[in-house]
Amino acid sequence: MQLQLENLVPIPLRDKILQRTSDLWNQVVTFTPGSFVKIKAPSGTGKTTLVHYLYNIRNDYSGKVLVDGQAWDAYKKDQIARMRQQQISVVFQDLRIFDQLTAAENIELKRVMLPNPYCTAEKVAEMAARLNVSHIMNQSGKTLSYGERQRIAIIRALVQPFEWLIMDEPFSHLDDENAQKAADLISEECRARNAGFILTDLDHDNRFAYDIHFNL
Amino acid sequence: MKQSFFGLLKKIIQTGIGKGRLLMATIGLGIAMFLLLLSIQMHTDFNQLLYNQQNQNESVDFLVINKKITNDMMGQSEKSVFTPQEIADIKKQPFTAAFGFITSNQYKVTAAAPGDLHFYTEMFFEAVPDTFIDVKSEDWKWQAGDNTIPIILPNDFLNLYNFGYALSQGLPQISQETIKALPMKITISKGLLTQEFTGRIVGFSDRITSFLVPGSFMEWANGKFGNGVEAAPSRVIIKTKDPSNPVLVKYLEDKGYSTNQDKLKYSKTKVIVQTIVSVIGFFGLILLLFALLVFSMFIQVVIASCKREIQLLVTLGTAPRQLQRYLMRQFVPLYIFTAIISLLLITGLQWKAAGVLAGMNMFVSSWISPGTAGAALLVIVLVYIVNLQSVKRYINEIS
Repeated sequence: MQLQLENLVPIPLRDKILQRTSDLWNQVVTFTPGSFVKIKAPSGTGKTTLVHYLYNIRNDYSGKVLVDGQAWDAYKKDQIARMRQQQISVVFQDLRIFDQLTAAENIELKRVMLPNPYCTAEKVAEMAARLNVSHIMNQSGKTLSYGERQRIAIIRALVQPFEWLIMDEPFSHLDDENAQKAADLISEECRARNAGFILTDLDHDNRFAYDIHFNL
Repeated sequence: MKQSFFGLLKKIIQTGIGKGRLLMATIGLGIAMFLLLLSIQMHTDFNQLLYNQQNQNESVDFLVINKKITNDMMGQSEKSVFTPQEIADIKKQPFTAAFGFITSNQYKVTAAAPGDLHFYTEMFFEAVPDTFIDVKSEDWKWQAGDNTIPIILPNDFLNLYNFGYALSQGLPQISQETIKALPMKITISKGLLTQEFTGRIVGFSDRITSFLVPGSFMEWANGKFGNGVEAAPSRVIIKTKDPSNPVLVKYLEDKGYSTNQDKLKYSKTKVIVQTIVSVIGFFGLILLLFALLVFSMFIQVVIASCKREIQLLVTLGTAPRQLQRYLMRQFVPLYIFTAIISLLLITGLQWKAAGVLAGMNMFVSSWISPGTAGAALLVIVLVYIVNLQSVKRYINEIS
């Protein structure tokens, strides 16, 4: 699955963005499938906006986001759902965990969304153990700390098949040790799928072997 | 900790919020379905009472139709004949299954009893196509050269003689068998031309009140003794599946035709029953519409109250189709439950009604008709389609 940006400019940030140069806004960019992409940007430059455009939950932009050569609006809702189940996964900055479900159920929801789940329940338990969240799996989403939610959101994103994983400041609530564990797990899972990722963050980091860096 | 996807959805999409509405919608659907099925079943039962072999001797009926003789028409026999246009019009009516002329004789007929019975009368003959005759007899045939004419008398005629004339005049009553055995001397004439035949009664008709001879004889005799011009018929006979058909009754009334009124007696009852059935069915339909509306409101409320959750589900990749399937799964058991309850009630009523009617020598099936069961299925399908449309629309609106 190929992702391309074509002169993409968010309408609300248009004036601000056109005053300065950016590696991505208002450029023609192709993300090579399977590559690890880091997008570094200070606050307020539209990181989350970009992630939402890439994942197609916002469309207040000029220019185009091309998915396999076609703009998002060329796809039907059921096609987009299929992509989100099988080709593109996401970790939101605001995590988006269901409060009424337990941590385990939040992950299970995504796992069994496909009639033939991509990974086993044992695999989920193993990932939870690696990220030190096994003990909170039966707690309701409402009672989880931000750090715990973040790790649940990461595991949730990893239980499905994907070609691209999009992450918006995925380690913002984690200490360095836990962040590195999560990064290692993400790396492994991407390699296992021959998938790439697009990660946005505020600062420079060396948690991954990035193939390419962009400044937003 | 293995849970199905729908099991998890159940925790996210709370349908409890509209429980009152859902209950109302289901009860409404139940009553609507009951009324609709009741009207269909009543319709079927009534038709069964009217047309079933057990309830009636003939599944079709024959009506002899003539114009009413009014004071204005007296002395003008040409006014009582049917014109070709009128005949064509009767033929093309939907209730006319078959049509035949009653042909009259154009010559004089006299009949005399054999031996010393001293019975002599002038009479007439008529002929109708054989398919309209209710007497089955081997002897009912005639061809040129035959000296014997088979004759069918109306049953009423014999009754009039036996119970009216014979009793009052002190004459012997005669059995059907005796009359059949008596050869009559039939003389037909036109001016100086006369010919004698032996008439033999071969049967008695309840259907046609006339003296009938075979069509072949009538044709031959009218050709030989008639005036050469085909006479216009003043009586016609039609075969109809349903003499109580209100359309037929109205047609006869409008045209000023008359027929055996007794045969039309069911018509009024039928109109009344049809009206009752229609009113019940109409209320059923109206109620069904309301039930559909309440269902739709329920769906709207549920989806609106879970708007954020549904949006997140879609964001995470849940297909609108999966959500639709999940929501419809909450409803379909309700439809089926309602349909089963309604059908059970109707079956119970039908069984009971069949028992009561059988006591009055009226027979209807003790089971519901396939039409009723089919209608239940149809209602389920309709409700399913309408609800699926609402679910689709509201999910589409927010996703």
